[in-house]
Amino acid sequence: MADKILKKEKLGALIESVTGKGGRFVAPTTDAHQVVFKKIKSADEVAGDYILARNSFKEFLFPQTEVVAEFTMGKDSVDMRGVEVHAPQTVVFGARPCEAASLAGMRALFTWDFVDEFYTKREENTVVVTVGCTKGDDACFCTTVNLSPESTEGADVYLREAGDSYTVKVISEKGKKFLEAHAAVFGEGKAKEDALFMPEKIKEVDLAKVSARLKDKGHYDDPVWAKLTRKCIGCGACTFVCPTCRCFDMVDEGTAFEGERRKNWDSCQYDTFTLHASGHNPREHQHQRWRNRFMCKFHFYPEKFSSKGCVGCGRCIRVCPVRLDITEVMVEFSK
Amino acid sequence: MENTLRQKAKGLLESGEVKVVIGYGWNRAKTRTTPVFITDPAEAESLVWNPLCVNNLSLYLTRKFKEIKALGRPAVVAKGCDIKNIVVLMTEGQFKREDVFIIGMTCSGTVYRQELWKGELTPNIMPTKCHNCDVRNPHVADFVVGEKTNFTPPEVPTGMVFDKIKELDSKPQADRWAFWVKEFSRCVKCYACRQVCSLCYCERCITEKNMPQWIETSAHPRGNLSWNLTRAMHLVGRCTFCGECERACPVNIPLNLINQKMIGVVKEAFDFKSGYDEKTHPPMIVFSPDDKENFIK
Ligand code: SF4
Ligand code: SF4
Ligand code: SF4
Ligand code: SF4
Ligand code: SF4
Repeated sequence: MADKILKKEKLGALIESVTGKGGRFVAPTTDAHQVVFKKIKSADEVAGDYILARNSFKEFLFPQTEVVAEFTMGKDSVDMRGVEVHAPQTVVFGARPCEAASLAGMRALFTWDFVDEFYTKREENTVVVTVGCTKGDDACFCTTVNLSPESTEGADVYLREAGDSYTVKVISEKGKKFLEAHAAVFGEGKAKEDALFMPEKIKEVDLAKVSARLKDKGHYDDPVWAKLTRKCIGCGACTFVCPTCRCFDMVDEGTAFEGERRKNWDSCQYDTFTLHASGHNPREHQHQRWRNRFMCKFHFYPEKFSSKGCVGCGRCIRVCPVRLDITEVMVEFSK
Repeated sequence: MENTLRQKAKGLLESGEVKVVIGYGWNRAKTRTTPVFITDPAEAESLVWNPLCVNNLSLYLTRKFKEIKALGRPAVVAKGCDIKNIVVLMTEGQFKREDVFIIGMTCSGTVYRQELWKGELTPNIMPTKCHNCDVRNPHVADFVVGEKTNFTPPEVPTGMVFDKIKELDSKPQADRWAFWVKEFSRCVKCYACRQVCSLCYCERCITEKNMPQWIETSAHPRGNLSWNLTRAMHLVGRCTFCGECERACPVNIPLNLINQKMIGVVKEAFDFKSGYDEKTHPPMIVFSPDDKENFIK
């Protein structure tokens, strides 16, 4: 196949081509003074100058809140009805290589012991177009978790900034179809690619050591957890912006006669996450909840699904109101 | 100032007067400050003081932080605005004056968010609270670090928050409603605003009461509105405008507008401002025959 390029001036045409066929186009845009992934309609909404969006694009695959069933209360029975999965054709444009790598873990979880069609159908209908990073900040650490702005894991199409164009690389079958469907927008040719931003690998971190230490149950009651994470206030913001966090809660809402069952984002950083009806809480202290988050990323996911639990996007570090930096804990656990 | 602070902290720990000093330190890259808990006098050297010290550390004095409480009597590094929250906590019986050693920091302002720091503190990166601050010299403290400043806040409060409130107040009710519905629509129900607020110290928040479910946990317009309004109501006459909730909100909801509006309403109705005097109880928990009843219509 000849080299493909996408002229930046053609972005509007691409958006029209996608939305014209009834699809939704999601891209980083500026809203309330920050760059976030949102459904957009025109090219001038797309943010040009950003490191990565504040939120992850997971909310377009796994919404913050969604109805999964409806019910009506009878005299002595409950009538429960499933609902249709809302899975529109979606293009996520301008995601970063790190966050796209989160999809393998997402899929592993949502197809593990039960196939959650609310997730899988949406993912099947989503094309992820990543753009290699030309900018970064002190929170980015993809290279430390063996990813980089050149990674294409999870992406369907990978773009590189190249002056007034993007160079285009098809990664998956879905990506190939996407290019075919919108062929008129893409051109052929070469362009000189802009330099990538490469975060420096944190040399004090040794992922193998981190995993080994987490595997050894002796670390569980290590006082170092409390020491490192005492400042955590359990706000959960880190888990809400994290592309790989996907815990949810099921709630019933409605009246005494009818209502709906909803699947809502939840967070392991909340004390109610593990609170038993008896009143006992196996994770009574915040450092234990933090330990869970860390183990989920660097032990449970790699071990259970052989997928990445953390992609090094640095979102959790940026949003944390007490600046609890996950890489500092990684350094400690590499010792 | 940093030196005096470190010396004092070291002395307090050595003498055993306090068991932990809650203060600010650097992150690994020395680009951001982060809360630290110093228990070893030798570590007092790592304390820092600069305009990046945004956190209101009074949070760690609240009963939610059992492990910190277990360390023993704390000293806390506090700016005047943080001390206001400590005062409210005392008026609400959360602890007594002698239970905490307050190291008050003379202050010339902080940044609104740490990301804004480019090496210099300029007015445009300071929050509205700093422009109108009347506690740059700590008003309740056991030890004050820094030279007295003679900054006097402007007579008529200025800054973004006040301008925006004025603008909103001039609009018809429907527009104001639309403004807030739109703002709250972004809420993701993370509760960071609650967790970061030292005055949200309830161990079981009303959002967590689910028999019945008072506030829907879903991040839909109904759930978001009931959450944000309930939280606002629970802080009437208590909130000090420290700004932590707005800083922590990952989706930038302008919570400071609500907080300052409430402060204005309470000032008007009860001639009260929270956080100044540990002996005066906040208006919401006392009854006075002089209370205005003009809200009963
Ligand atoms: S843990 Fe933090 S750095 Fe890792 S993927 Fe989640 S948000 Fe990104
Ligand atoms: S964002 Fe920070 S303070 Fe909040 S739960 Fe996560 S680590 Fe704790
Ligand atoms: S409000 Fe006052 S005490 Fe608080 S940070 Fe600003 S200037 Fe300092
Ligand atoms: S509501 Fe917000 S501004 Fe008011 S005291 Fe709490 S954190 Fe500070
Ligand atoms: S911090 Fe912001 S997003 Fe989170 S619950 Fe509060 S208002 Fe909503």
